[in-house]
Amino acid sequence: MSLDSRGPGNPRKRTVHALRWLRWRQTCNHFTALVRGSWLRVVLVALFSAIFWGLLFFLFRDGFRFIDAILPSTNEIVEYLFGLFFLSLMVMLVVSSGILVYASLYQSEEAAFLLSTPAADDRVFAHLFRDALVFASWGLFLLGSPMLAAYGLVADAGWPFFALVLPYLVVFVLLAGSTGAAGSMLLARYAPRRTKTVLGLLLAAMLIGGLVYAVRLLATPGQVFSLDWIDALLDRLSASQSPWLPSRWLARGLVSAARGDAAQGLYDLWILASHAALAYLFAAWLSTRFLRSGFSRARSASSARRRHGVYAIDALFHRVFAFLPAPARLLILKDFRCFRRDPAQWAQFLLFFGLLGLYFLNIQRLNSGDDAWPPFWKHVIGFLNLSVAALILSTFTTRFVFPLLSLEGRNLWVLGLLPMSRRTILWGKFLFATGLSLVATITLVLLSDLMLRLPPGVIALHILAISILCAGLAAISVGLGAILPDLRQDDPSKIAAGLGGTLNLVVSLIYIALVIVVLAVPAPWYLELLDRSQPPGDSPIRAVLSLAAVLIGALSLGAIATWLPMRWGIRAFEQLEA
Amino acid sequence: MTVAASPHTTTPALVELRGVSKAYGAKRVVDHLDLDIRPGELFAFLGPNGAGKTTTIKMVCGLLRPTAGSVIIDGFPASTREARARLAFVPDQPYLYGKLTGREFLRFVVEMYAMDRRRAALRTAELIETFELASFIDDLCETYSHGMRQRVVFASALVHEPRVLVVDEPLIGLDPRSARIVKNLFISQARSGVAVLMSTHLLAIAEELADTIGIIHQGRLLARGTLDDLKRHYREEGSLEDMFLRLTEGDRPTTPFNPGAVAP
Repeated sequence: MSLDSRGPGNPRKRTVHALRWLRWRQTCNHFTALVRGSWLRVVLVALFSAIFWGLLFFLFRDGFRFIDAILPSTNEIVEYLFGLFFLSLMVMLVVSSGILVYASLYQSEEAAFLLSTPAADDRVFAHLFRDALVFASWGLFLLGSPMLAAYGLVADAGWPFFALVLPYLVVFVLLAGSTGAAGSMLLARYAPRRTKTVLGLLLAAMLIGGLVYAVRLLATPGQVFSLDWIDALLDRLSASQSPWLPSRWLARGLVSAARGDAAQGLYDLWILASHAALAYLFAAWLSTRFLRSGFSRARSASSARRRHGVYAIDALFHRVFAFLPAPARLLILKDFRCFRRDPAQWAQFLLFFGLLGLYFLNIQRLNSGDDAWPPFWKHVIGFLNLSVAALILSTFTTRFVFPLLSLEGRNLWVLGLLPMSRRTILWGKFLFATGLSLVATITLVLLSDLMLRLPPGVIALHILAISILCAGLAAISVGLGAILPDLRQDDPSKIAAGLGGTLNLVVSLIYIALVIVVLAVPAPWYLELLDRSQPPGDSPIRAVLSLAAVLIGALSLGAIATWLPMRWGIRAFEQLEA
Repeated sequence: MTVAASPHTTTPALVELRGVSKAYGAKRVVDHLDLDIRPGELFAFLGPNGAGKTTTIKMVCGLLRPTAGSVIIDGFPASTREARARLAFVPDQPYLYGKLTGREFLRFVVEMYAMDRRRAALRTAELIETFELASFIDDLCETYSHGMRQRVVFASALVHEPRVLVVDEPLIGLDPRSARIVKNLFISQARSGVAVLMSTHLLAIAEELADTIGIIHQGRLLARGTLDDLKRHYREEGSLEDMFLRLTEGDRPTTPFNPGAVAP
């Protein structure tokens, strides 16, 4: 794409071409820099994405085969499930694209730069909206494409279905994104000082709505998978099948296309596309009216200084951790204050662990009466839940703990001049990350195990395991964060997405896999010691030895994963010139 | 050094602020500000931190809207396309696309301002030479130091030949050589008829470069005039610094200083 060959003298057209050319050059230069500079990251990202996509594909394929094998009227049930799935995604997309568009339009320096040029407001909006939308929706494509591919395969769909999948997803994303963008522009225009309140209310409404809906579904009467149960379940899902919902058009169109009714598939796509176009036009029109005034209001609102004082929680922290030296305690408290004053951090923390907690709470429903699982499956699910908690924790430590040291950036000299060793500073960050992780994950694991009605011995083992995992994951993130700091970057998400962050995630995943394998593989031999309901084995010595080996193995792994990264991190941090 | 060029007071102003106020919530950060900057005038906006300089500058650039009053650039309201096309803004933390080279960034700006491409090519080459960018202009902007970034941003601000140049804290982070280049640029721009509005809290820069100095404190313009006018009016024998401190530390004049009242 060349600028010189395009556009005559029309300023508006030249702006459009310039913004397109900007994105094209940025993409090319970014890709070239990636391939030249960190090809390892490209390979790792591609490899893990492919593995993740493949795993999802096989999971969905088996799921659809299961539904196909045991349930009548598969297409109807799938249509209901798609309706519910895409309704949930639509709500999340509207909110996430709204947040991202708000940040792009009103908080980014790029917006300030573009708004100071002669570019028309709707062109600035279109440019920033597209970037925000891509960022908000890549997860939908990563999750939706294997699911729809698997469904098409199981339903033996023809080529029209596969040809329609991408256009459906694109217009669906455009519709949800435009709605979110319109909402964010209205918010900036009319309530720029109430953004956090509105966001909080929205998230609370989503959480409560999701909870109520989930409880209703899980309380469906009847024997699971019986005809009565399916009828009752479909009845309870009917709210997501309203003909006014775009998610319903998408579900109906795709299922019709898979059944060979391409005309219905095209008809629903047309309806969805026309609504998406209308929503985008509305958002673009709003931008011509409100973008500049909203920018001014949002920037003026955010200029009001916030005051934070001393809180009871800080005093409590000092009392509880009185055994730590005062400087280390203050440093941990600083990180804790940053955490609780940054909604991006605690909201993500609450959302991930809250959803997991919700799922754990509902295990009881599937584990009662005639549906109670045999002990073997309880243990398997217990280990799986433990792994999921650790996996979510690893994304959290990669996103928020790994960048901690890099974020000190230009203030690193302050840390260097503090009357405490750099070793203490790093251990302080480790304690902060471990403490926060322990509180969340032990609560979750306890909840899961109690709902599964696991025996106390197994619960104790799981708590030990998650503690080892917490310490190791925190040490890996703090240590690697000190070894591979990015002191010039002040955006934690970019630090986490860099080479260091990617490596941190990979090492964390390997560590989790090792600990879980060490604990779970010999489980059949030692569980009889911890779970009295298990039949006694023929070799008690083997049981004792396997339990001892598991404990020694897990503790050793934890010690290595904690000590080595911290040691290397401390060495790197001590040699780092501020 | 004091710039000798003195703009004609009869020429229509390129930047006009009439009764401009701006409030952030209950706090009024700019309070009933009247200001004219004429072609060829280098106006230095002086004030302590939080005085309202940056807010005023953002209103001049059309990024913030005044709570009251109007901002006119070359006859057009500041938020219009016509006003923005005549104005260049260099913020204190300039924005560059990290994944573009400096040359690509300049080309992007040329297109955004819909310049004649042949003229733009000549102008770009001239600015690359003026700001000594040749050694790094084809590297990605993300690899630049602060000084390099600042020089590229100045080049991008001037490539479209603005009639009004607005600069917020121009010399922060620049080495002496780069600072000299920028100072020369301000003078040459003003002499070529551009209205330059520069915000700074470096008094020596204002003293050295400015045709007119405006002292703002707590959102109010306390004084405006040439350095000599101001010294004469306040019977200040000392430096601009002494006068500035006297004005902004509570010892304020009872009536705002009106340049029209000062004898030439």
